[in-house]
Amino acid sequence: MSAFLSSKLSTVGRSLIRSFGNDLSAAKAPHETMTKLSYQCLFLQQQRTFIQMRTRLKVVDNSGAKRVMCIQALKGRRGARLGDTIIASVKEAQPNGKVKKGDVVYGVVVRAAMQRSRCDGSEIRFDDNAVVLVNKQGEPIGTRIYGPVPHELRKKKHVKILTLAEHIA
Amino acid sequence: MRLEKCWFCSSTIYPGHGIQFVRNDAKIFRFCRSKCHKNFKMKRNPRKVKWTKAYRRLHGKDMTQDSTFEFERRWNRPERYDRNVTEMTLKAIKKIDKIRVDREVRHHKMRMKGKKAFEQQAAIKELENSIDLVKAPVALQQAKIKVEVSRSQPEGERMEE
Repeated sequence: MSAFLSSKLSTVGRSLIRSFGNDLSAAKAPHETMTKLSYQCLFLQQQRTFIQMRTRLKVVDNSGAKRVMCIQALKGRRGARLGDTIIASVKEAQPNGKVKKGDVVYGVVVRAAMQRSRCDGSEIRFDDNAVVLVNKQGEPIGTRIYGPVPHELRKKKHVKILTLAEHIA
Repeated sequence: MRLEKCWFCSSTIYPGHGIQFVRNDAKIFRFCRSKCHKNFKMKRNPRKVKWTKAYRRLHGKDMTQDSTFEFERRWNRPERYDRNVTEMTLKAIKKIDKIRVDREVRHHKMRMKGKKAFEQQAAIKELENSIDLVKAPVALQQAKIKVEVSRSQPEGERMEE
């Protein structure tokens, strides 16, 4: 819920900056006013995109890392989505853990703010971007996973993660 | 395949429609269309938004307790396929829908009962109070004089007799 609120505040901040920018260039061509309208409707629809280089994600297992920054999305020209693997660099870690700050690790995206379609036609989206650290073979480094995970992982053969999860969405 | 209810407007979500939002406490919110999803993101309370079923039920516009609602409960046990049972169920669904719709119509009628009489009374009052919008005061005065004259004439005739 706090992540939800903070994302809302950031959109407010972003829209204010946009409106200031528009005021500065107010007395200009009519196409400027068109962009102002699109900024206003963008404020209501926060566009969620892929997980790409420099995206920071939350780590939801007990491997020791807390925050991780994506440096490469394996598969996907535009970036990783729900259920994909990424290569990441550990930015923040707990003092006694299996990984340290600055380690390069593999991770599986278990929660993504960008919606992903399901085979029955509906779409699913989560509140934040979260990742579970795995080794090269795809087995999780940690022993516990917090929060809900999607069952898209079953198709991607991440069965171990599903067994550790406390709730499957 | 399961038909869900939209969290915001309580309409049914058919397969292929809508978005599911999973919050970090593992609570799932299903929305039938982006209208409901956007209202949810704006943090609107469905009980205060006039067009939702939640508002209508809360304010007594739609019926709340009915035995036909009992048939819509969630059933998590899988049923073995039986052709006869399926046939009976399909027939029953049609019948129950018809009954539910009839009851809703009756509820609406009961709610709107006395509206015509009320409107009539309100119209009469308004006519009395603001008759000057319809007819000029001068015309009304003349009508009054005519009435008085016609009333006094028969009395005069009697006097003459």
